[in-house]
Amino acid sequence: MTTTRLAPSTAATAPARRKRPNRAVSARHATRWWVPWAFAAPGMILFIVVVGYPLLRSLQISFYQWAVLPTDASTFVGFDNYTRALGDAEFWTSMANAGIYLILTVPLTLILGLFFAVLLNAKMPARTVFRVLFYIPVVTSWVVVSLLFKFLFVTDGGAVNWAITDLLPLTSEPVPWLEQRGTGLVAVAALGIWKSLGWCLVVFLAALGGVGEEQYEAASLDGANAWQQFLNVTLPGIRGTFLFVLVLQVIGAFNVFASVLLMTNGGPAGSTEVPLTYMYKQAFSFLDFGYASAMSFILAIIIVVISILQFKFFREKN
Amino acid sequence: MKKSLPAVAGVVTVLITLSACGTGGVDGSGSKEPVPTLSAGEKVSGDITFWHAYSAGGTEVKTLEKTVIPNFEKLHPGTTVKAVQVPSDQMHQKLVTGVASGSLPDVIRADIVTVPELAKLGVLTPLSEAMPDFDTYAKKMYPGPLSTNKYKGKYWGLPLDTNTKVVVYNKEALSAAGITSVPRTLDELKAAAPKMGGGKYVFAEGGSGGWNLLPFIWSNGGEMTDPEVTKATGYLNGPKSVAALQMLIDMYNAKQLPQAILGASGGVGPTDGVAKGTYASMIDGPWAFPNLKTSFPNFAPQTSPVFSGEGGSISVVGGEDIVMTQGSQNKALAAEFIRYMLSDEAQLAMAETGQLSAQSTLESKVSAMEPFYQAYLEQLKTAKARPATPQWAKIDDIFTKDAQQAFQGKMTAQQAMDDAAAKIDPLLAQG
Amino acid sequence: MTTLTQSEPSRSTSAPGEHGPNRRQIKPLTVLRFFLVLVGACVMVLPFLMMVSTSLEPNTATLPTPPHIFPLNFTTENYSEALGSSNFGLYFLNSLYVAVLTTFFVVLISSLTAFAFARFDFRFKNVLFGLLLAGLMIPGIVLIVPQFVLAKTLGMTDSLNGLVFFYTAGQIAFTTFLLRGFFERVPKELDEAMTVDGTTVFTRFIRLYLPLARPALATAAVFAFLGAWDEFVWALTVISDADKRTLPLGIAAFQGEHGSAWGLVFAGSTLAVIPVIIVYVAGQKHLISGITAGAVK
Repeated sequence: MTTTRLAPSTAATAPARRKRPNRAVSARHATRWWVPWAFAAPGMILFIVVVGYPLLRSLQISFYQWAVLPTDASTFVGFDNYTRALGDAEFWTSMANAGIYLILTVPLTLILGLFFAVLLNAKMPARTVFRVLFYIPVVTSWVVVSLLFKFLFVTDGGAVNWAITDLLPLTSEPVPWLEQRGTGLVAVAALGIWKSLGWCLVVFLAALGGVGEEQYEAASLDGANAWQQFLNVTLPGIRGTFLFVLVLQVIGAFNVFASVLLMTNGGPAGSTEVPLTYMYKQAFSFLDFGYASAMSFILAIIIVVISILQFKFFREKN
Repeated sequence: MKKSLPAVAGVVTVLITLSACGTGGVDGSGSKEPVPTLSAGEKVSGDITFWHAYSAGGTEVKTLEKTVIPNFEKLHPGTTVKAVQVPSDQMHQKLVTGVASGSLPDVIRADIVTVPELAKLGVLTPLSEAMPDFDTYAKKMYPGPLSTNKYKGKYWGLPLDTNTKVVVYNKEALSAAGITSVPRTLDELKAAAPKMGGGKYVFAEGGSGGWNLLPFIWSNGGEMTDPEVTKATGYLNGPKSVAALQMLIDMYNAKQLPQAILGASGGVGPTDGVAKGTYASMIDGPWAFPNLKTSFPNFAPQTSPVFSGEGGSISVVGGEDIVMTQGSQNKALAAEFIRYMLSDEAQLAMAETGQLSAQSTLESKVSAMEPFYQAYLEQLKTAKARPATPQWAKIDDIFTKDAQQAFQGKMTAQQAMDDAAAKIDPLLAQG
Repeated sequence: MTTLTQSEPSRSTSAPGEHGPNRRQIKPLTVLRFFLVLVGACVMVLPFLMMVSTSLEPNTATLPTPPHIFPLNFTTENYSEALGSSNFGLYFLNSLYVAVLTTFFVVLISSLTAFAFARFDFRFKNVLFGLLLAGLMIPGIVLIVPQFVLAKTLGMTDSLNGLVFFYTAGQIAFTTFLLRGFFERVPKELDEAMTVDGTTVFTRFIRLYLPLARPALATAAVFAFLGAWDEFVWALTVISDADKRTLPLGIAAFQGEHGSAWGLVFAGSTLAVIPVIIVYVAGQKHLISGITAGAVK
């Protein structure tokens, strides 16, 4: 886990801060050993009790054929749940679907989020109103917008099919959006991008505020045009934030849930299932909590590996 | 810095100890205590909790909370019934969490397909043993709804409300296509299908689960399992079951059945399409009528029995049962409350909100309430319940996925049902 | 010298779009920018308009296909029903109570934790931070049952304060992750300057780091509020008492298995958006002044 550190961000005073300053501070003015612990304690204790302990418990459950009823004995099955998941074609379909969803959503969300953040970072009329409008999808309930999108993508009489058959005659046949794998994932991804773009935008806006004006001025004096300034000043200036957003969006893509559950329910024939809908069914429909827990740890391992790769990749490029 | 090590080690030790004591042995509601005898008319007091998924959108919750429960509390002074509404989509999750943490309520209005599951988990009190007057209630019920409570030779609950599905159709849409009368048999449906076209369909189905396809299989003379619910091979993949599925697949391939059959059930459904005339008919429950009335006040839906075949006109039973938990601390009051919920007074009050009574003795009174109730009550007489088994959720999942693969042409109908039956048999063997 | 041609020299260098070498390029660029943002905003707001529009039509059991952007038969009956007889007012207050307290505790506790990770070296630092990140990566749904058993043991079911406790704990990982990055960017020279003056770590945290991290704290607060305001699955699991329902639970109650009261669902959802937007607008004015601007002051 040592690699899960944020890459050094090259913010305002970039050249002077190649090395992390924290060691310098704490070493030269030796604070007592318990000071960092005192700062970290409230949060860590709360976290360990409410998340850490259930996490450990869930890990334990993953090694059992777990009996839902506490008075019934659970059977220890070792790694059976894990080997079962590794050989379960439906689980891997769900993982592949999460991968497809990730590829469909994350790059577009990040690019569009950054694009509009840059546009909205500068003064323009009604800027606050626009910022609010972009944020509105983030704050509307997942359940409600998932159902809304389901209605938009309904095959007979849905707004999307109306638009592509009647409004702009791209096709004569209505597309069965939610009744096949590819288009189903596209529809879910459309909702995903719409819903999380505003979130990226807010984080990027906060980071763009931290990019020093003097750097733009310097670049401007060097004759850099807008695009060059974006590449040479803006992007390096928000590198840390970009990584933060990227990592969280990737985690979010693997955790896509409510939209799939409500729009396709993983169908038809399990072809649009994603890891969380599959786990949810195993746990709460089929009461197989051991299996669901094992799958969640396999998923977590995959996410950890991908996150580490992202940290590595971005640090090396720095 | 060294000093931090014991602290962390301490926390870790505590956590491991905490988690080690959790695989059997924690106090729960499921202790296997002897079944009590809960006679009618005993003096009751105290309070109970009642979980239900009545819909808050219409009048159901209002009637329950403002009329039914207050009347019960008036009849039994000193008692309180705390009603907890759980959204229907989340009821199962809430029940599972309740089982796992020993925090189930006293009485539950449970979806009929979850009763055997809860019974198998050991969290229910078998009403057929606990209530001496059980038979007087059981006798009044339609057989289909009553059968949903049976598991391992005992009845674990009683039908609280019931419903089924009938053909709901749009007369204008049919006559516009030159179809003079609604198809009454599976053959007539097949014959009428090609007359539509132009993006319109004679019939629409909004899913491919047991709830959607079993009426076709049963009406065609097929079955899902043997009557004792011990095996599917020879039934689900029998010629009549497969032929019913094949007929729908043929219609789907000929573009005579809309895509919605492969969609996620729930939410949308074909209701809109029937009102607008895109679909001439659907098979749907009594809720379709109030739904249509609010959205399409000018549309007059008609009803007809489910398309019949060799097996007759057999629809599927829906609805809820009322059950008592093993962990209830006030079973006498719980039993009294169940009796009241099944009384004519409460049943008729809830019937006014759209909850059909499963008691055949109330048929004439209930059918007089709404013109469309008659068709449903008639259909209920022959309607069958989905197999009562704790494994239903898994079985339905297998069936749905295989049927959908057959619709997608990835398997033949026979292959799909062979595969499903082979996967379902071992589940049924687990009981 | 190029900045002199601009009307607002103070903000002139805040985005690449405004660094045209001469005046002629500025205008079309601004217009283009505005146009692009306008188009984007319209797309973003369209589904929301459909929701608002449905909430202003008579209650229906099925959603209109295609949905309307402007209500056909305008009525406010869903709002009067929601606010009047349907207890939405109470749910609204419950949600507000939970979200405000959660936001306060999350920002307070996470900023302390994030400061420890950003500015100190200590044993197990990476292990602990890794644990926090793992908390972000494990899907929460499998934790529900163990967490519910824990909540029951702690006597925190059916309690709004219990919700605050669990929401706060649940958001610490994310917020710490967010804030640590910002604390790390505080120039060490400022920290050292104050250290030489003999101030304690805690004073530096209060006087230097918190003010400088204001945009990050505002961002954290905006997300913490939203997280607590919007949460559904956990609330559903632990809350049974109708008087303690939060808004998402109240709205879900109107979604039935065989048809929902869409007018009420959408009216409730529209009302639910308002406080989050207020928090966002209040928070976002702090987002404008960047960390560097703060450091120079």
